[in-house]
Amino acid sequence: MIDRIEHMFSVVANGAHGSVWTVLFIGFVFGAIILYSRLDKFEKMAGFMIFEDTLVPRMAMTTVALSSIGFYFMVQSGYATFDIKPTLLGGLVIGGILFGMGLVILGKCPSAFFVSVSEGRVDALVGVIGGMFGGLVFTIAYPWIEKIMGPDLGKIRVPDFFAEHGLLTVVIFSTVLLIVAFLIPTIDYKDPADFKEK
Amino acid sequence: MPKQIPWWLGGLLMSLLFYYTFSVWGANRPIGASTGMAYFSNLIFDLDTEHYEYASKIEIAGAWEGVMLIGAFFGGLFMSIFVTKTFHISYIPTLWKERKNRSVLSRMIWSFIAGFLLVFGARLAGGCNAGHILSGGSQLAVSGMIFAVVALGTGMITGRFFYKRKVIKDD
Repeated sequence: MIDRIEHMFSVVANGAHGSVWTVLFIGFVFGAIILYSRLDKFEKMAGFMIFEDTLVPRMAMTTVALSSIGFYFMVQSGYATFDIKPTLLGGLVIGGILFGMGLVILGKCPSAFFVSVSEGRVDALVGVIGGMFGGLVFTIAYPWIEKIMGPDLGKIRVPDFFAEHGLLTVVIFSTVLLIVAFLIPTIDYKDPADFKEK
Repeated sequence: MPKQIPWWLGGLLMSLLFYYTFSVWGANRPIGASTGMAYFSNLIFDLDTEHYEYASKIEIAGAWEGVMLIGAFFGGLFMSIFVTKTFHISYIPTLWKERKNRSVLSRMIWSFIAGFLLVFGARLAGGCNAGHILSGGSQLAVSGMIFAVVALGTGMITGRFFYKRKVIKDD
């Protein structure tokens, strides 16, 4: 296993997507933001889907609204390239359903449960172990699973349908998200466990 | 130091990180996490790239996300120990106690099942919250939007049946 971990770092070091330190730094900041905004908490993620908390949709909408504008200009000026996931309809729908069920029960997504473990949450660790088995079954069964993942509609983006109004589409999309994020009422589930006097 | 940052600041900081990661100065690729989880699982169960098609498929992207997740773990650890000071061993979330039950065993069994569904579902769909909803949404990808609607919709419906109704407090 040690050699495979070394191999993982060497793949990143030889890849074209930043040095190992860059990637670790990105992860560090990512984890720090997730924890500091409390996205890793069950009360935030599951709470959003059972209407006890509104942090997740507001924060996600703000991120997507700001990023979509920035990404557009970065790609236009050649400082980035779009990296779109293919629209595999079967996989998206079946996967989305399973993922949604898991999300509301565990209350953390696949990056947040990792961060959650770092806060001492044993249930998140059990979730990670469950996830390891999920990955195991997926890798072994991939030759069969592959058949139900289609049809592949290609790597499509919304602006593809409005070819001449690329910027306008992005601006409208971003503005709508920002407005909705501001209009969603603040519901904050204050977890007594976090505010205990030590 | 405050124990929590508000949603707009979280969103702003997250988008700055996304700019950096997405640009040629950073990693020149969007952030994703679930490929990294599948990569870890191949690593732990020693599924090699020669015998398993999927393992070779995610060889490059999985390694990147794996290293990123190691960073994320330490980022979370740093914040929970030094800034929010919320690090403590816990078994059941408060809201679960309120809306489901107080049994540790039940929470653990459901956590295992849910973790399984999360990674399996994310691999089937080709991404998770980070890769599909945040990164995909920011690029206005159709796949990300379909995923967001299906996953969050299913989550809300499941939540409605899985948890008990909200208890109205009279205070």
